[in-house]
Amino acid sequence: MGKHHQNLLNNLEELRKRAGLTQQELSEAAEVSRKSINAIENGIYVPSTVLALKIAKTLKCEIKDIFKLP
Amino acid sequence: MTYFKRFLIVFICGIVQIFYALYLLLNQFGFNLAWHIDNHIFMFIPGVLVFVGSGILTASYYLGDSKNNNILYDEYTALRYYKIAAAGYALNGIGIFMLFSIQDWANWSFQNANDMIYQLAAFAWLTFGALLTIFSIGDYKEYKNG
Repeated sequence: MGKHHQNLLNNLEELRKRAGLTQQELSEAAEVSRKSINAIENGIYVPSTVLALKIAKTLKCEIKDIFKLP
Repeated sequence: MTYFKRFLIVFICGIVQIFYALYLLLNQFGFNLAWHIDNHIFMFIPGVLVFVGSGILTASYYLGDSKNNNILYDEYTALRYYKIAAAGYALNGIGIFMLFSIQDWANWSFQNANDMIYQLAAFAWLTFGALLTIFSIGDYKEYKNG
């Protein structure tokens, strides 16, 4: 797991890079701003369920692959 | 709507509010300013700006390009706004308590009541003006660098 949030660990940056996407491309696919993706990757922001599902769908993985409870 | 246009709208509204609120507060607390706003019509400027600015933003939210709006009005921006608004309510609560505390209740009059209403309005105006300015700068900086 990469960057840490108090309530949620995430692996987003690694999975995004593995999928060959930039933050901008992922944000467009998930219909949010690039800064939201950046904030999630850096553990600043915990996304909503809908956004987490959109990200997982874009990266073709499960939510549990991206996020994990500490 | 773009990030830059939103920054401009919110920043100008915030800065103008700060200017007018400070002017009103300084007058209320007896500081002798070297100049005065003579025409009372000018006091409508911040209100008109906020009315027009919020109208433009609301119209862009409901009528603008949905793909663009998903980015401009996403949940992270909403969270940022909620935090700023919560800080505003807290600061206003403290400010109202302080302004109530410094009134001369023993010699209360309609003039005192009138002054207090102006003080409360100016303080709330100043608080939200400052928060709007902070929000606009932070939002735009995050868009550029975040």
